Amino acid sequence: MMQNAIHIDDLSFGHHGAEQRAIDQISLNIAAGECVALLGPSGAGKTTLLTLLDGRLRDWQGRVSVLGTPFEPTRALPVAKRADTGFIFQEFALVERSTVMRNVLNGRLGRMPSWRALLGHVSKSDMDIARSTLSDCGIADLADRRVDSLSGGQRQRVAIARCLAQEPKLIFADEPVSNLDPSRAADILTLLTSAAQARGATTVFSSHQPELARRFADRIIGMRNGRIVFDVATRDLTDDATAALYDDTDPASGARLKVVS
Amino acid sequence: MRSRDLGGFWAGLLVAGVVLWSLITTDVELSRLLSAGPRIADFLGRMFPPDPTIMDEIWKGSAETLRIAILGTLGAVFFSVPLGILASETMVSAAVHRPVRTVLAFIRAIPLILVAMLMVGAVGLGPLPGIIAVAFHATGMLAKFYAEAIDGVSRAPIAALESAGAGPLLRLRYAIWPQMAPVVARDTIFRFELNLRESLILGIVGAGGIGFYIQTYVRSFQYDKAASVTIAVVIMVIAIEGINVALRRRFA
Repeated sequence: MMQNAIHIDDLSFGHHGAEQRAIDQISLNIAAGECVALLGPSGAGKTTLLTLLDGRLRDWQGRVSVLGTPFEPTRALPVAKRADTGFIFQEFALVERSTVMRNVLNGRLGRMPSWRALLGHVSKSDMDIARSTLSDCGIADLADRRVDSLSGGQRQRVAIARCLAQEPKLIFADEPVSNLDPSRAADILTLLTSAAQARGATTVFSSHQPELARRFADRIIGMRNGRIVFDVATRDLTDDATAALYDDTDPASGARLKVVS
Repeated sequence: MRSRDLGGFWAGLLVAGVVLWSLITTDVELSRLLSAGPRIADFLGRMFPPDPTIMDEIWKGSAETLRIAILGTLGAVFFSVPLGILASETMVSAAVHRPVRTVLAFIRAIPLILVAMLMVGAVGLGPLPGIIAVAFHATGMLAKFYAEAIDGVSRAPIAALESAGAGPLLRLRYAIWPQMAPVVARDTIFRFELNLRESLILGIVGAGGIGFYIQTYVRSFQYDKAASVTIAVVIMVIAIEGINVALRRRFA
């Protein structure tokens, strides 16, 4: 039997005061080891879904369990349970005034004894892991540079290195390449997906670019207006399905006639 | 008239009313102002030339004022770190940071000189009451500044560390502190400068420092000596301000 990394049953979530639900009755299973792309226009609910699966949202309805841990709808996941899932943020979310090495070590904080980490003690094994992820990401030479002196592409590599240093079983990446030019974007996604594969980690990344989703994911889930529009193996994805995802006039695709620009 | 012009008119009337009320109800007589001229000239005449023979007292007083400001600032930093954390929206819930902020506002509202007088009564004359008073008074401002520095940092790295499994203290240490450090340095130096300026007068109520000599010499009509002390104070303030400006440029 294939083990589910993610199990979602009838999940809904609305931002406080928002008219429309950000996530609307989603059910979904993702198996361990899969590489899944969430495809859809901005406002489709991709970021919300990833943030929720990362354990950082509360007050939702339905059932969610990630890596075998059932989430409680009324509260965020306890911090101590978060180390197994890594998250790569769209805007990198690095500490700008710290060095590359320090940022990558920050990914290890959930794996270190708290009091030692507070005192600034870094064990040899933590240091070794940080160094090897830095070289896997091709930025070993940047270790002592401050992040605020780096380019966008370099920053995204640091963000990926921080996530990999965490040794996650599950990696969420929220629009990991939307800030990069196309050739860099492909490089970064190659790095991310191959590193995840080498580590046996399940990967879910969101994108609004169908060609990148096709190229890097085994499975593509189309989202629009908080709902799943299609969920197919990459080879089965038709151009019509993709087009419908971004079509503002077709009522069948979005279920609701909200214009998404 | 448009409503905005009308607003300006009323504001002007209000200001005029307040000024007029102050003038009428206070004993401001032009004759007294005019007769003060010769007397001020007399004071200035007696201040000149400043008496250079009291260098020992000046050094002693300045050093003590400096020590009060340094130790007072240190004390304020010591209390402001935990209080700043407890007054920040990022670190604690509203149930905690609201009352803490209210307490800090009260502390700020109590004038330094009043705290100093109370402390002289409590622990006796000398620099100790001055240090305690400065530490207490400065904490009201510094803890608020620290809380604002915590709340002013970019949130994304905090979320990233939270996602990696780092608890609140680790997030403070590795996501918030690196971002707020230059602000904390700038605010602390600024508060030190204020502490030095404000502690110059502490000697007047017996709480130590160079103010004691100003008080003594003015009361005993030794204006030439008071002038020397005043010059020393001015030099000290300008020097600290210069150092402060130089440091701030470094942190910019």
